[in-house]
Amino acid sequence: MSWATLWKTILIFTLGGYSLLVLIVIIGGIGNIIDMLKDLRPPQTTKNSADSSHD
Amino acid sequence: MDVFATNFATIDWIIVCVYICFPVIIGIIVRKYIRQISDFIVAGRSLRLFIAIATLTGTELGLVTVMYNAELGFKHGFSAFHVGLIETVCILAIGLTGFIVYRLRQLRVMTIPEFYEKRFGRNVRIVGGIILALGGILNMGLFLQAGARFMMGITGYSHPAGLKIFMSVMLIMVLIYTVLGGMVSVVLNDFMQFVVLSIGMLIGSVFAISKIGWDNLFKAPATVDQTAWFNPMSEGSGFGSIYVIFMVVLTFSAGALWQSGTLRALAAKTPRVAKQLYAWSSVSYLARRVIPMLWGICAYIFVSQTPHLLKAFQGPKALNTQFGMPIFIAKILPSGFLGIIAAGMFAAFMSTHDSYLLSWSSVITQDIVAPLKKDKLTDKQRLLINRITIVAIGLFLLIWGLWFEAPVSLWNYMAVTGTIYLAGAFTVVVAGLYWKKASTVGAKIALYAGLLAVLGIGPWTRGENVPFYLTDKFIGVMTFVIAFLGMIIGSLLFPDKKPALETSPGGTE
Repeated sequence: MSWATLWKTILIFTLGGYSLLVLIVIIGGIGNIIDMLKDLRPPQTTKNSADSSHD
Repeated sequence: MDVFATNFATIDWIIVCVYICFPVIIGIIVRKYIRQISDFIVAGRSLRLFIAIATLTGTELGLVTVMYNAELGFKHGFSAFHVGLIETVCILAIGLTGFIVYRLRQLRVMTIPEFYEKRFGRNVRIVGGIILALGGILNMGLFLQAGARFMMGITGYSHPAGLKIFMSVMLIMVLIYTVLGGMVSVVLNDFMQFVVLSIGMLIGSVFAISKIGWDNLFKAPATVDQTAWFNPMSEGSGFGSIYVIFMVVLTFSAGALWQSGTLRALAAKTPRVAKQLYAWSSVSYLARRVIPMLWGICAYIFVSQTPHLLKAFQGPKALNTQFGMPIFIAKILPSGFLGIIAAGMFAAFMSTHDSYLLSWSSVITQDIVAPLKKDKLTDKQRLLINRITIVAIGLFLLIWGLWFEAPVSLWNYMAVTGTIYLAGAFTVVVAGLYWKKASTVGAKIALYAGLLAVLGIGPWTRGENVPFYLTDKFIGVMTFVIAFLGMIIGSLLFPDKKPALETSPGGTE
């Protein structure tokens, strides 16, 4: 295989493979962001529960 | 015809200005999620696979990456592709085996020097932290300059003060939102920037190829060595066998241990996600090299066919070769789309800067200041030190970028300055994880040996007829060899009196 053919193959693979990866990551990434923000959300201290302790 | 003539119009400026407001807004919104230092540095170790891929790509595909790879393509043609191929194989190997990254994530460390302490003690952590920060900050020393050159080339703003103006504005923007939001804002912005930049790069490639023509693309221009344009082993290509060896060692060690990339693995939700992240991202690593190199190659072919442009890049007053790609892009892309590409590239600039600023400030806070204060700092104090350090590094970048020029090429500068840290770190981490006899003395020798790489950015590396032992590539390879030998000889001659500290992971995730 000549160098030119090797680089041509690499270029085609890169453009095709990366296009596919971008699609997959966009679809999967949105769900991941929602989950991450849920993980990081501070624990809720509700006013009702604090009030009820004084009852 | 003006060399800097461009299709960039008012509409493109509007697109760029609107777009760059988003990261700042996100930085302000996510501030409420930052409660402790691990939220700031590793996003509370909450990254799942796809967002981790986006953020790793966002970090490792910066404007500076596009610039140095495009410059390689512009100067060396298709032979530059070998760097991308080697890097991809290395990243895939790390992803499939989990070499280094899996065990580091299991250990729940936040920075590489934190591992040094677990394995070799506090002194090694401080020494390692200083060398890492030095190498890392020097490494990003030309980011701002390269980014400003891109913006000048694409907008056609060739005023003598253009470099200073662009560098200052770009720095202020990135400092604001990195200081505010830490890793959470970095991750969210990286995702947005991954989407815009990736789509922009793919469409930009279609424009570039259609301008040159698919068949013409694989014909070497008449102005270059026909063999060297394709064959990286040919000495005329500017690479050669020593360079190829240097790239194998460098890209493998950087893949596993470059702090900004490894930080993503350490922030992954589980060690398994850290491993998968690398396997999937090997495609991104290939794209971040090959696509900008393709643009650089197309740019050179275009320049070689346009006499007044060819003249501008030749002779004693030749334009810096980093201008080749942006000048080409500015001439072939239509207005409107040019704005989207500029915004995407500016986003890439910011996503890389924020991560690197965060990486090096984290190292200074966690691995130098905190150990020196015997870990008596509160989370609030650590956050403050992190934020002050980010601003201080930003100011250094401004001064260094205005003063220093890469002696050989931007990528060679990046490779050699990266070696300052990587030669020692790779040796110390590999030996620390996989060799029981590795000792503290061996680790220190290996870390100090990395400093030899500084010789690779000296003025003696510049020019045509540099003896091989003074070339940056030879100095780079030898730094790795000396660090490796230093670890082995130091460990065998000066073994630790106490048994190795515990570095096996506690529990599974």
